[in-house]
Amino acid sequence: MRQTQVAHRSGLRDEQQRLYAPCRARCPVHIDVPGYLAAIGEGRFTDALEIVLERCPLPSVCGRVCLHPCEDGCRRCLLDDPIAIAQLKRAAADFGVYPRPEHPRLRPEKIAIVGSGPTGLTAAHDLANRGFQVTLYEEKPLLGGTMRYGIPNYRLPDYALDRDIDYILSAGIAVNTGIRVGRDVMLDELAASHRAVVITAGLQGSRALPIPGVDSPRVLTALPFLEASSRGEDVDLGNRVVVVGGGNVAMDVARTARRQGASDVHVVCLESSDEIPASPQEIHDADIEGITLHYSWGPRSISHEAGTCALNTVRCTSVFNAEKRFAPSFDESVAECFEADTIIFAIGQSADVGDLGIALTSRGAPQIDPLTLKTSIGNVYAAGDVVSGPTKIIDAIAAGHQVAATAYRDITCDTEPLRLLNEEIDTLGEVPDTMANKLETRRRIQMEHLEFFDAVKTFDEIEGGYTEYEAAREAQRCLSCTTGARLTREKCSLCLTCIRVCPHGAPILSTDGYVYFDAAACNACGACQSQCPSQAIVLEGHSEQEMSRRVERQLWAAEMDTALMFACSSTPIVPNLGGTPPRIITVTCLLRVSERTVLEALQNGATRVVFAGCVESTCRFLHARELVRQRSGHIEVLLSRIGMTNAFDFVEHKADDLDWHLR
Amino acid sequence: MSLREALESGRFAVTSEVGPPKGTDVSQMLDTAEKLRGHVDALNVTDNQAAVMRLCTLAACVHLAQKGHEPVLQVTCRDRNRLSIQSDLLGAASFGITNVLALTGDHVIMGDHPQAKAVFDLESVQLLEVVGALNNGTDMAGNDLSGTPEFFVGAVVTPDAHPIEPQLAKFEKKVRAGANYFQTQAVYDSESFLGFMETARSFDAKVLAGIVVLRSAGMARFMNKNIPGITVPDAIIAELASAQDPVAVGIEIAVRFINDVRDSCDGVHIMAVGAEHLVPRVLDAAGLWEVPS
Amino acid sequence: MIVVRQKPVDEICAFVTRHRRVLLVGCNTCAAVALAGGEKEVDLMAELLRLATSRKASFVEFSGTVLTRQCEPEFLEQLDSEGYDAILSMACGAGVALLASSVDVPVYPALDTLFIGAAQGLASWEAECSACGQCVLGRTAGICPITRCAKGILNGPCGGMSDGRCELGDRDCAWVLIFQRLEKFGRSEEFLEIAEPKDHSLRTRLVTWDAHEDGIR
Repeated sequence: MRQTQVAHRSGLRDEQQRLYAPCRARCPVHIDVPGYLAAIGEGRFTDALEIVLERCPLPSVCGRVCLHPCEDGCRRCLLDDPIAIAQLKRAAADFGVYPRPEHPRLRPEKIAIVGSGPTGLTAAHDLANRGFQVTLYEEKPLLGGTMRYGIPNYRLPDYALDRDIDYILSAGIAVNTGIRVGRDVMLDELAASHRAVVITAGLQGSRALPIPGVDSPRVLTALPFLEASSRGEDVDLGNRVVVVGGGNVAMDVARTARRQGASDVHVVCLESSDEIPASPQEIHDADIEGITLHYSWGPRSISHEAGTCALNTVRCTSVFNAEKRFAPSFDESVAECFEADTIIFAIGQSADVGDLGIALTSRGAPQIDPLTLKTSIGNVYAAGDVVSGPTKIIDAIAAGHQVAATAYRDITCDTEPLRLLNEEIDTLGEVPDTMANKLETRRRIQMEHLEFFDAVKTFDEIEGGYTEYEAAREAQRCLSCTTGARLTREKCSLCLTCIRVCPHGAPILSTDGYVYFDAAACNACGACQSQCPSQAIVLEGHSEQEMSRRVERQLWAAEMDTALMFACSSTPIVPNLGGTPPRIITVTCLLRVSERTVLEALQNGATRVVFAGCVESTCRFLHARELVRQRSGHIEVLLSRIGMTNAFDFVEHKADDLDWHLR
Repeated sequence: MSLREALESGRFAVTSEVGPPKGTDVSQMLDTAEKLRGHVDALNVTDNQAAVMRLCTLAACVHLAQKGHEPVLQVTCRDRNRLSIQSDLLGAASFGITNVLALTGDHVIMGDHPQAKAVFDLESVQLLEVVGALNNGTDMAGNDLSGTPEFFVGAVVTPDAHPIEPQLAKFEKKVRAGANYFQTQAVYDSESFLGFMETARSFDAKVLAGIVVLRSAGMARFMNKNIPGITVPDAIIAELASAQDPVAVGIEIAVRFINDVRDSCDGVHIMAVGAEHLVPRVLDAAGLWEVPS
Repeated sequence: MIVVRQKPVDEICAFVTRHRRVLLVGCNTCAAVALAGGEKEVDLMAELLRLATSRKASFVEFSGTVLTRQCEPEFLEQLDSEGYDAILSMACGAGVALLASSVDVPVYPALDTLFIGAAQGLASWEAECSACGQCVLGRTAGICPITRCAKGILNGPCGGMSDGRCELGDRDCAWVLIFQRLEKFGRSEEFLEIAEPKDHSLRTRLVTWDAHEDGIR
């Protein structure tokens, strides 16, 4: 996907079609992050989950182990901390209800997917949803690939993975586990009996370095070790373990070794601390668990002595050459020896598809045409890590979408899904200083997690996940990038109210006499939308019609004398009105509840409407409380004029210390 | 001796005022006038003062003239347009009433008929010019009059206005528009009044200092707060507040002021504001009781 | 612009409850800018009237639409009022009048027309012009005494001025402002020129203005 990082002023347009928030732009599958954060902020976890599922069928997995490139782009980074985007995805999966599948009309074509990792599951899901008859082939007894057998349970427990897989399979996907294509069933048979076959076998090959002494029962490779651990097998490692490698897998291996009983775990890697490929978070967690990292050592041999062994290394002086290619050089005069009971190599995985009978690259990966994703067999596609080498899970999911859309196009000649996937997008620029200066610092809410001395004893999940309330409060830190004001110029009466009411100067009166919105300066507070006399401004993330539907749903189920309460999502506590409990609609800000919505609710059967406002310390938006107060006053005046004096109430909390623990 | 003669001869003149009744009974007004007979040069007759509707000024002037008093017809622009004002002026002249005081008038909002349409077709400066035109034998439209009035026309000025500059500029305009004399808004600070008189002396117009007799410290504070252009100095309020007989002290203050300014101005205009019985006491105390004929 | 504000809803109710199907017509020019007659206010008014009438068990149907400007015949031609037995116009008096002349059903005003004014900021306007037909701003440093002086007088502050404020207490004295601005630009002398009484016949005769007749176009 082509992306253009556009300057701050590029937000200057009144119609933004493909202007993405940086979080969304950086996500390889472009999950509508601001959209689902807004839903979580209002406590609508099911809505949030549905938004995530539009682009990512593995929310429970990604909510735990995604390396979240989105968060690096978060525009809050410069203010305090990025939003916990990934962990909030988990909250959506934890508290939302997975939707029931809509079974589209079944098409006659059958498609086989070989391998059930993230790429395969995604491709299977996409194709099944487009009506194809999809069958998954998996060599292992259970689905999930690396997610099940590679990622340790303390990061991704099976139940979390199964939740996503159950959802994916509910689209109507047949499953053949315990079948290795190329051994139990031949690829050309599948190719003949299916309209298309997609190879998404991932990287199953795990190797050690070809150095002296490597062939020993005390020397293991990463994947078999991780797989055994994930199956719950005890692996006797001894006390002291040396892990060779510097990637995230090496960290997983080291931390798994701790849980397998090794008390003294060392990671030895070629790279310096600046070059190490493992994510900072993983390194930090490994460090907390008492794992020692040794940088810039190149293994030369393994010596054995009476049940223990030792990794002999020399100083690595550089890993890459001038062309940035992997070409390590060493200083043989500086040596170090790491004694160990077990040595585990975690130096990369490789494709293991030699038995498929398709043309392979020199690395042993399927040879594909990068445009058609086809292998040497005409209706056999290959995608994911098996082709690209190791990537992030979310990249693998993206590859799944890509190959599914490609196969779909080839079969149906419908190019639309593929075009949408590869459409060019713009990214919203940085938060302008004028806005940043006015935003309050709010640090990320930290979730409950096991302390390391407990964590390293078991494979129990370390992170406890947010509570619903914590998740909502964390999501409310979102600056709501790109979900803000959009102006329909034809309706604009040029009253300039938006310019006068915006706290951040997002609307700009240009010398051509029109009003433009600088999307980069808009945090979707809704002040302008709430005041626009011509209804020329809408918020991308909010619609009056949707609000009407929510009101209707609440009143449909309501009893005779029911009050309808609109509660600001930032209010720490919903007031107790006494009497019949009110129906409650939680909204991002009460400014999104128009006077008309209130009257409509009264017209449709609510005996009373109550606004439950937030408190100063929890309010997300500058000046919003003042405007809400004004609006409440206006509603009261209108209603009193038609003799409905007690039909509306505005309740504001005085207590300001209700959720101090979240600040 | 008429007011015009008094002022033109350079004698210190004294005027006071009476208010027409709300109703048709003019006896009280005539009683008040009677008490002042022989002690004042002329009696102003207010025109729906403070925008409160009362018996019409012209009729009241006629009553007074019939009893041998010399009235000053106050004319405001609030209630009448240029036709009505001119015809009333001609009517007054036909009764021999020639003293006129031209005012813009308080806004109707301030009075007892706030819903009324305020006219202000003219204002004080323009009214002065209209009177001048009538004296010259033509109406505003330039039509000749049969029978020409001889109005002696005055205007008002507020020496204690803040800011003072626009007020002085307007004072100058009124002189140029033909004001023969000025009655000022009530003043208490003789020094500031003398300062004003220095400016006023550069113009050819007579000035009668405005006097309102203070009856209590509360009255002084009320006027400071509510009557535009009146400033009672703190020292005077303190004097009243500590007085055993504040009315007597109020008279004393008035007399002191008159004595301070009598050599610098051309007369005094004593406004009763609901206490007409005090006017003779002030005049007596100030040695102005006898008007020489 | 023409500054307008909504009439109290009970007053509007009294107009419309006699009818069955009422069309609310907004105006997206001055009335919208004055936050009183744009689409938002039309929708809100319709909802409010529904609520008000249904509470009184009367059954009036309300629909709303917005024209770009109600004071232009061409825009009015875009209005489809078929099937309505009354119209509630949410425009200034000019809009109401033109609309009333172009349809056969009663047209009621939902707004009061206040003045020709200028914005002071958010939802705040000040009267600046009284459409007297004979502009005096050239002599008064751009401050209209006819509009901003309560008495509309032309030769300086009246005796009601106090500390630069009008005797009505709700505004600054226009003549003090004029004096100060003239002084600031070294034009104090102009203040001393006596302004003659205004010729109101001009205003009276200005019921129509045809640029062609004036030979201007």
